[in-house]
Amino acid sequence: MAATRAGPRAREIFTSLEYGPVPESHACALAWLDTQDRCLGHYVNGKWLKPEHRNSVPCQDPITGENLASCLQAQAEDVAAAVEAARMAFRSWSVHPGVVRAQHLTRLAKVIQKHQRLLWTLESLVTGRAVREVRDGDVQLAQQLLHYHAIQASTQEEALAGWEPMGVIGLILPPTFSFLEMMWRICPALAVGCTVVALVPPASPTPLLLAQLSGELGPFPGILNVISGSASLVPVLASQPGIQKVAFCGALEEGRALRRSLAGECAELGLALGTESLLLLTDTADIDSAVEGVVDAAWSDRGPGGLRLLIQESVWDEAMRRLQERMGRLRSGRGLDGAVDMGARGAAACDLVQRFVREAQSQGAQVLQAGDVPSERPFYPPTLVSNLPPASPSKGSSSVPWPVVVASPFRTAKEALLVANGTPRGGSASVWSERLGQALELGYGLQVGTVWINAHGLRDPSVPTGGCKESGCSWHGGPDGLYEYLRPSGTPARLSCLSKNLNYDTFGLAVPSTLPAGPEIGPSPAPPYGLFIGGRFQAPGARSSKPIRDSSGNLHGYVAEGGAKDIRGAVEAAHQAFPGWAGQSPGARAALLWALAAALERRKSTLASRLERQGVELKAAEAEVELSARRLRAWGARVQAQGHTLQVAGLRGPVLRLREPLGVLAVVCPDEWPLLAFVSLLAPALAYGNTVVTVPSAACPLLALEVCQDMATLFPAGLANVVTGDRDHLTRCLALHQDVQAMWYFGSAQGSQFVEWASAGNLKPVWASRGCPRAWDQEAEGAGPELGLRAARTKALWLPMGD
Amino acid sequence: MSAHNRGTELDLSWISKIQVNHPAVLRRAEQIQARRTVKKEWQAAWLLKAVTFIDLTTLSGDDTSSNIQRLCYKAKYPIREDLLKALNMHDKGITTAAVCVYPARVCDAVKALKAAGCNIPVASVATGFPAGQTHLKTRLEEIRLAVEDGATEIDVVINRSLVLTGQWEGSDFIKTSTGKETVNATFPVAIVMLRAIRDFFWKTGNKIGFKPAGGIRSAKDSLAWLSLVKEELGDEWLKPELFRIGASTLLSDIERQIYHHVTGRYAAYHDLPMS
Repeated sequence: MAATRAGPRAREIFTSLEYGPVPESHACALAWLDTQDRCLGHYVNGKWLKPEHRNSVPCQDPITGENLASCLQAQAEDVAAAVEAARMAFRSWSVHPGVVRAQHLTRLAKVIQKHQRLLWTLESLVTGRAVREVRDGDVQLAQQLLHYHAIQASTQEEALAGWEPMGVIGLILPPTFSFLEMMWRICPALAVGCTVVALVPPASPTPLLLAQLSGELGPFPGILNVISGSASLVPVLASQPGIQKVAFCGALEEGRALRRSLAGECAELGLALGTESLLLLTDTADIDSAVEGVVDAAWSDRGPGGLRLLIQESVWDEAMRRLQERMGRLRSGRGLDGAVDMGARGAAACDLVQRFVREAQSQGAQVLQAGDVPSERPFYPPTLVSNLPPASPSKGSSSVPWPVVVASPFRTAKEALLVANGTPRGGSASVWSERLGQALELGYGLQVGTVWINAHGLRDPSVPTGGCKESGCSWHGGPDGLYEYLRPSGTPARLSCLSKNLNYDTFGLAVPSTLPAGPEIGPSPAPPYGLFIGGRFQAPGARSSKPIRDSSGNLHGYVAEGGAKDIRGAVEAAHQAFPGWAGQSPGARAALLWALAAALERRKSTLASRLERQGVELKAAEAEVELSARRLRAWGARVQAQGHTLQVAGLRGPVLRLREPLGVLAVVCPDEWPLLAFVSLLAPALAYGNTVVTVPSAACPLLALEVCQDMATLFPAGLANVVTGDRDHLTRCLALHQDVQAMWYFGSAQGSQFVEWASAGNLKPVWASRGCPRAWDQEAEGAGPELGLRAARTKALWLPMGD
Repeated sequence: MSAHNRGTELDLSWISKIQVNHPAVLRRAEQIQARRTVKKEWQAAWLLKAVTFIDLTTLSGDDTSSNIQRLCYKAKYPIREDLLKALNMHDKGITTAAVCVYPARVCDAVKALKAAGCNIPVASVATGFPAGQTHLKTRLEEIRLAVEDGATEIDVVINRSLVLTGQWEGSDFIKTSTGKETVNATFPVAIVMLRAIRDFFWKTGNKIGFKPAGGIRSAKDSLAWLSLVKEELGDEWLKPELFRIGASTLLSDIERQIYHHVTGRYAAYHDLPMS
């Protein structure tokens, strides 16, 4: 026997049967860094951009601390150069037929396939994540994403007719992220014809490599530009002229701050915030499999964040025992080791989790740590926290970091829903139950973007992933991911409506006082008076009224002057009506909308004469009433066919794409089209199961109040509430209300800016017109699919099957 | 086999309470093979350990004393001596866990092993193997005869018609399958069985052994089985008293891998003795 490669340890291992290191060579990652002389710049317009006189930040191996390369930090002018390149590229990229874009994406997928080793070793080396997860999970999914979106691009002309790409997208990624998070967002953006400028945190080489691979493909170098720089560049990129949308992915408070600072700016904002997930373990679950779900969610390198775990009391002991047993077998180590479950994510992540656990301990929580984990920093063992008092701050506000699981008990499924929904977060959750009825009840009841039944963390390019509440309402994947980067054809490009001297503290704070303006005169009967709240007309809290004049300047009538207390009452009434209305079938909702349409037609002469007094010709007035009735019927019918089933590769069983109501929707109607705009907004909102608080046209709220007379007899109380009064003041009250789930605002530029700013409070999705008038009588603008998209939110419900 | 299942009152409510989610178990089975690998010395040591779990098996209609004798010799000397020496493992007494034959060949096996001067146990399949569809009387007689001939372990085929009607039987070991089925040892099934073993241990304190059989041919497969048991039950189950692999051709692949580990070359067919 010549050279013997056997080491001395075989004997010991034979006895101990321990695992050994399975190192993955990262020579090719280093070789790639060498091609850049270990100095990474930015990748803009198909070329490396390495400007002089820039600070540089070392890119380090998070585990050994070894310096791998130095990364130049961008300055504002580099950002501008990248945006300019993307703007130029958009001109050609967006007008090419979808098949050309499809081809390009397919070629990128093939390039990734050919160089996947480089991709996975580089990613694992610099992020510290387990190479197995990157290799078998991320890299494969990245290719699937490109293929899926290539198909979407190739059918864009037919499938997405009536929509056009927004323009240049600014993508902002958090300090620790997987390159997959970038792929999820650039794929749909590129597919529909947008171009991208991605701002990645310092020392993230993988996005640069991806941009290089894409750029070297040739004809469209500027479609994907990557610049690396500190968080201080976020506002610079976001306010860059030409950026039409900012997709932000990161921490909650940063997202909130960005929402405020982008109010009134040119770019639209899509937020995906927080990383925490939720797992519901019921007493009929396959507990061992649920424990594997916990591992997938928090104790592996699959998920980005930690986990809140709700366990039914009757199986608490059993579940905890199995969790502890399983924890003990977890292995942590260098990410480039092929046999570890968890790597390490650098010093910052380690500090974060240490703080969280110390805080939990100080509140009397029980902390369990186990597993085969190196003792030195930045490794952190899998951690199970229990007995955390319910009101403690670390449970409520700060999100659970990786790799922590916070377990708490619940008694019944009903209570589980209350606890699970009792947080501002709405990302993803899994339900573990072998009882179909219970699993579906919980799946439908959870207020989150994604629900997996008896699985956790499954993802597929065709399934939309997103969230609700303070997790942000942007989506990626599936049809919803495409709409993120589209707008209805013909919509003018977004412009800044920023008014620098708008004072957020005082906007709409005071109500101008009004005095009696004489008696109402005219042929029509006296208009209804009061605020329509909870199904009946009520006197306003302020006990004062506002005169409404007709087109010839005569007094048309008085409307009640609503205020903060009235808004509070209206939102409360809407909340009370919500569960009942959302629980109705689309058919039942349609029936009610049709009944209202019929009532409108019966009331046609009154409505038309009131419109006439506002200066509308009789024929046009009658047409407006008829069109309003048609809108109600159309939305009632349209909503019958909402949501659909997706088929996912590798999964036996369906994924349901549900369209769920948002909750209480605040609608501030435009001044013009006092009847048609009111109905056109009300109809989709109600059809999708929302309950509504509406501020009708300020110029002539009387039309809406006429309709209220019919709603009073037809609708359940609180379904639709109409509050008249000073528009700015009511807007302020609604926009700042934390329990209003979404807001549509059609009014001034300043009002829009305020609404966008104020929505940061609970991160409610807002749709603000920014002072642009809308052709409510046109089908596209008055009843287009955009309204339907905005009137409901998507939920993906995964239902794997097996006997 | 030292530990015996002391048995417990049959409580069918245990079984009715057990929930197994099939797709989730399938996912776990996929993961377990990808998440744990061993390389280099670890692989060599693990493979040698795997050898000690093998029930070296021949269950052919044409078995005769000559191939049984060869099998027994291979059981005693599973890995070439020089390879073991190179690994400094030659004094560990590495043999397979048992030889496993048909009842009629037990005599041959016992004789051959005695001649080779070792005390490797002889396991006999019995009770109308592989279908188990014979009368209870003949099945019991079969066991008795095999034991008389010197078999110390009996692989009983349970009467599955009784299982399917809810009438269970107890044992010291549970085995995935006879190895004669179209589908034999698979990971998802094994996961369910291992979890049942652990639950039974938690409830009664009795440790039940586990034996996957059929279709385990490559060294890589055997490593996956070892890590599966290690992950689901822990190291205390990784001993021949509680874990066996029923296999016939696995051993030669393990020997080839060891050869490669030691020499850095791939072995020719004739480099290693046949079994």
